[in-house]
Amino acid sequence: MTPGSTLRIAGGTVYDPANGVDGEVRDICIADGRIVADLPAGSPSLDARGMVVMPGGVDIHSHVASSSCNHARRLLPEQHAADPVPAPHLAGGHTGRSGTGGTVPSTFTTGYRYAGLGYTTVFDAAIAPLTARHTHHEMSDTPCIDAGCFVLMGNDDYLLRLIDAGEVGRARDYAAWLLGATGGYAIKVVNPGGVEAWKTPQRNLTRLDEPLGSSRVTPRGILETLTDAANALKLPHAVHIHANNLGVPGNVATTLESFKALEGRRAHFTHLQFHAYGTGGGWKSAARELSDWVNAHPELSVDVGQVMFGPATTVTADGPVEYLLYKSSGRKWVNIDIELETGCGIVPLEFKEKAAVSALQWAIGLELFLLAKDPWRVVLSTDHPNGGSFLAYPQLIQLLMDRTVRDERLKLVNQKLLAGSALLDGLDRQFTLGEIAIITRAGPARLLGLRHKGHLGAGADADVTVYSRQDDIAAMFASPRYVLKQGELMVEEGHLRLAPTGRRLYLRPGYDDAVVPEIRSHFDRYSTVQFDHYPVQGLPNGPLGID
Amino acid sequence: MTEPRRVGMTCLGCGLLCDDVTVEVSGSGVSGLLPACVLGSAWLGSGAVPGHIRSAGKDVTFEAAIAAATSLLTSSRGRVLVFLGPGLTIEALRPAVAIADRLQATTDTATSAAAASGILAGQRRGRAAATLGELKNRADVVLFWGADPARTHPRFLERLVEATGTHTPDGRASRTVVSVRIGNDGAVDAADASLQLPVAGELSALSILRSIVAGGLVPDTTANIAGLSELAARLTAAKYVAIVADGENGDPSRPSQRAEGLVALAQALNTPTRAALFTLRSGDNRNGVESLLTWQTGYPFAVDFHGGVPAYHTGLRGLEDAGSVDSALLVGDWRTIPPASLAAIAALPKVVIGPAASGAAGAIQVAIDTGRAGIHEGGTAYRLDDIPLPLAPVLDGPRTAAMVLSALEEAVDRSLREAAA
Repeated sequence: MTPGSTLRIAGGTVYDPANGVDGEVRDICIADGRIVADLPAGSPSLDARGMVVMPGGVDIHSHVASSSCNHARRLLPEQHAADPVPAPHLAGGHTGRSGTGGTVPSTFTTGYRYAGLGYTTVFDAAIAPLTARHTHHEMSDTPCIDAGCFVLMGNDDYLLRLIDAGEVGRARDYAAWLLGATGGYAIKVVNPGGVEAWKTPQRNLTRLDEPLGSSRVTPRGILETLTDAANALKLPHAVHIHANNLGVPGNVATTLESFKALEGRRAHFTHLQFHAYGTGGGWKSAARELSDWVNAHPELSVDVGQVMFGPATTVTADGPVEYLLYKSSGRKWVNIDIELETGCGIVPLEFKEKAAVSALQWAIGLELFLLAKDPWRVVLSTDHPNGGSFLAYPQLIQLLMDRTVRDERLKLVNQKLLAGSALLDGLDRQFTLGEIAIITRAGPARLLGLRHKGHLGAGADADVTVYSRQDDIAAMFASPRYVLKQGELMVEEGHLRLAPTGRRLYLRPGYDDAVVPEIRSHFDRYSTVQFDHYPVQGLPNGPLGID
Repeated sequence: MTEPRRVGMTCLGCGLLCDDVTVEVSGSGVSGLLPACVLGSAWLGSGAVPGHIRSAGKDVTFEAAIAAATSLLTSSRGRVLVFLGPGLTIEALRPAVAIADRLQATTDTATSAAAASGILAGQRRGRAAATLGELKNRADVVLFWGADPARTHPRFLERLVEATGTHTPDGRASRTVVSVRIGNDGAVDAADASLQLPVAGELSALSILRSIVAGGLVPDTTANIAGLSELAARLTAAKYVAIVADGENGDPSRPSQRAEGLVALAQALNTPTRAALFTLRSGDNRNGVESLLTWQTGYPFAVDFHGGVPAYHTGLRGLEDAGSVDSALLVGDWRTIPPASLAAIAALPKVVIGPAASGAAGAIQVAIDTGRAGIHEGGTAYRLDDIPLPLAPVLDGPRTAAMVLSALEEAVDRSLREAAA
C-alpha cells in the first residue's frame, strides 16, 4: 500500500471472531497496509453494505512450494495440459504470468488462485531441509500470499542420534539451528522414525514403542523430544505432527496413543481424517473417539485433511505409505529418498463418491468438523493436494454450513462402510459464518501465533476478504467480491488486479552455539553438501520475532 | 599485483556440482582446481571472458543494445524462439522465462536433445530415486548400467562410492560394485563383477531383470543372458541398491526406451528391497532449467508459450524447427548448441546474451557478453539430483546474465504495455 494511503471498508457485516465480532455492521479502516481504529471523515471508501467482511484466509497446512511439489508437478503433464491458465491482465496495463493448474498448479497460478479464494497466508507443511533453498525459490514465484514452511525433522539422522544418546537439550538446540538455517516457521514430524525405517529392511515403524533398528529411538521418543523442543523454544506454532500409520485401517489406536503420549503438552496433529480409522478389522470411522479426545484436551489442535471427491495427488514425506498406495492402486509412483533427513512419495489418485473407502474418508472428515466443540482448535484443510485441491474449500464450507446440501450429498455416496458414522445419526449442526471465519482464518492464525493475521483489530495486517451474500454458499466463497492484501485491492469481482509479492514468514530461534561444531562435524562425515552451503540466505524480508 | 589466493567454489563442470573444491585466484585469472578434475578444469578455463556489447556488429551502449533487442523481439511476439541454454543461474533464468512468457515464445533447452527420454519415462511411470547422499550412506550394491562415471563425472567414485557413510562404514569395502557394459558404453575399473551386453540386448536384459525381481521367475533360459539371474539375485539380496545410469551421454545407437526400463527395474526392486536410480546428468545447471520451468509452467522442457499459455510440445525441437519463428533469443552458453542446430537457425535474426555472446555468428542483431555462472556470477544452480546449491563467484565479470535479462524483461514488458495502451 502506498505510504500514507487509507481506505475505509464501509458498512459491511463483519465477522472478526478474534475480536469478538460476530456479524456486526461496522467499518474497517486501513492505513499504510494495516488496520487502524478509525480514519478521518472523507477518507477513500469501499462500499461493503450488505456484504460479509472477514480477515483474509489462513491455510495452516498445504503443499504448494517444495521439491516434492515440483516432483509432483513434473509427474502430471496431462493435468496441466487440461488446465492451462493465461496470464492475467492486471491493473495499470500490467500482465501477470501464465501457468497451469490441475491438482498441483504452477507457482504463479497457485498464488493467483489462493488470492481468488480470499486466502492471503499459506504455509507449506513439509519441506526437506536440504531443499529449503528450492522452497524459497518457489515461494518467490508464488505471488499474492504471505508464505512460510514447516521443516521436516522427525526422521533426521542427526536428531535421531541425539535422541538415541538421550541428549534432549542438544536436540532442542539442533532443531532451533535447523529452523533458522532453512528459513522455516515450525517443526514438522512425519511418520516419526518410519521414514528412516523405510530406507532400511525394517521398512516402517507401526507401533509407538517400536525401536528404530538397533537404536533406542522410538516414535514416542521422537514425538516427545520435538514437542518439548517446540514448546521450550516458545515457537509460535506447536510441533506439527503427521502421526504413524497414516491411511491404515485401525490406525486410530496409534493416533490415540500419540495423543496420550503428548497429553498436557501443546501439539498440533495434522490431517486427522487420515488417522481416524476404527479398530476391529476392516474400514470404519473412529471420528467420535478422536473428537472426544480433542474436545477434552485444550492443549491439542488439529486440522482435518478433508477428502473431497475428484482428482487428488498424494504428496508426502511418508515414503512407506506411498509405496502401499502404489501397490494397491497401480498408479504411477514417485519415491525419492532424501539423504540424512526424510523421504518423498507421490501417487496421483481420485476420490470417488461411489468408492466405499473414499466415501468413508469424506464422511469422517465431516464428522470431525461437526463433532468439534471448539472450532478454534479444528482447522479447515484438505491437506492440498492430498485430500483434494484447495479450490474445493468453498464446497467444503457449503457442506458444513448447509445441512440440506450435506444430506443430499450423503445419499449419493457409497454407504457400504458408513455404519457407525455419526453422519448417519443425523448430525444437524450447521456452521455459522462466524464459525467459518474461525476455522479458515482466526483459528489457524491463532494456532500459528501470527498476531497480525486472522483478525481485523487495530494493528493487524490489512488482509481482508469481502463476500457478496449468496444463497449458494459454495458460490459465495468461491468468488469473493473484494480481496485486499496489505490494504491494496488485489481481487475485484473475480478479477485479479494486483499480484503483489508476499512476505516470507520464518523464524531465527536462538540456540547454544556449542552445538554448531558438532553439526558441522556430522555434515563433514555424511552429507554431500558443504556445511557452509546448507543455510539459506538472502530471504526477502527479516524473520519474525519470538516472544 | 595482488597475491594469488585459494578460495572455495562450486564447480558446474558436471552434474555433481562439487561444492568442496578450491581454486587459485590471481588478478583476473583462475587456475589450479583442487581436487584435480579434468572436466572441472575444462569448465573453469582461465576465467577470462570477453565483455562486448554489440548491435548490428558495432559496439554500442548497454541501453542501446537492450533497446535494439527489445525492438526485434517484441516485433515478432508470438513468433520467437527462446533457447534457455546451460550456464544460467536460477536468478538469470527467472527473467529469461518471464520474457519467453511475455513474448509467447517457443522455448527450447539442452534437455530436448540430450535428456528427454528419461524425463518422459518418469512422467509415464514415476521414479524411484534418491539424493546422492543415499548412495554414499546406504548403498551396499552399486550397479553401473552402461555408465562410465570416470569419464562423465570424474569424482563420482571418490565422493560417493569410495566414501564412508552412515550405513557404509568401510566405504568401498562396504559395497559390491557391478558394472554392466552395453556395446561400448560403460566401464568401471575395479568393479567386483562385470557383465557385457550387446546394444540389441539392453531392453530385454532390463525386462528379464525386472521379471526376476518382481516375480522370482527366471524366464526361458534361451532368452536369458548369462549372468542376469546372478545379477538379479545380487540386487534382491542387497539392503539398498543404487542403479547408476547415464542421463545424456550414451551411445545414440542404444534404445531410448532403456530409460523406462531402468525406472521400472528400480521401482520393482523396492518390493524385495530398497533401490534408487541415479541418472547422471551434465552440469551448468541443466537440472535447474528443468526445475524452474516445472515450477513456473508445470513442464520441465519443451514449453511453448505460443497461444498465451504454456503447452508441452515434447516432439518439437525449437532449435531445429525454426521455420515457425521470426527471431530468436539465445541465453546462456550458446556454444553448447550442436553445430547442426546452429546451422538450422543461422539465418534467423538473433539476440544472444551469455558468456562469449559476441563470438556467435549468423544474423546476430544484438550480442551482450556476460560472465559465467559460478565463476563470475553468484546465485543458485541445481545438482543432478535436483538439490539446489549456492554459487560463490570468484572473479569479477563484465555484467551478470541476471542483470542483463532483468533489464531486457523490464524493457520488453514496458514496450508491450506501451503498444497495448
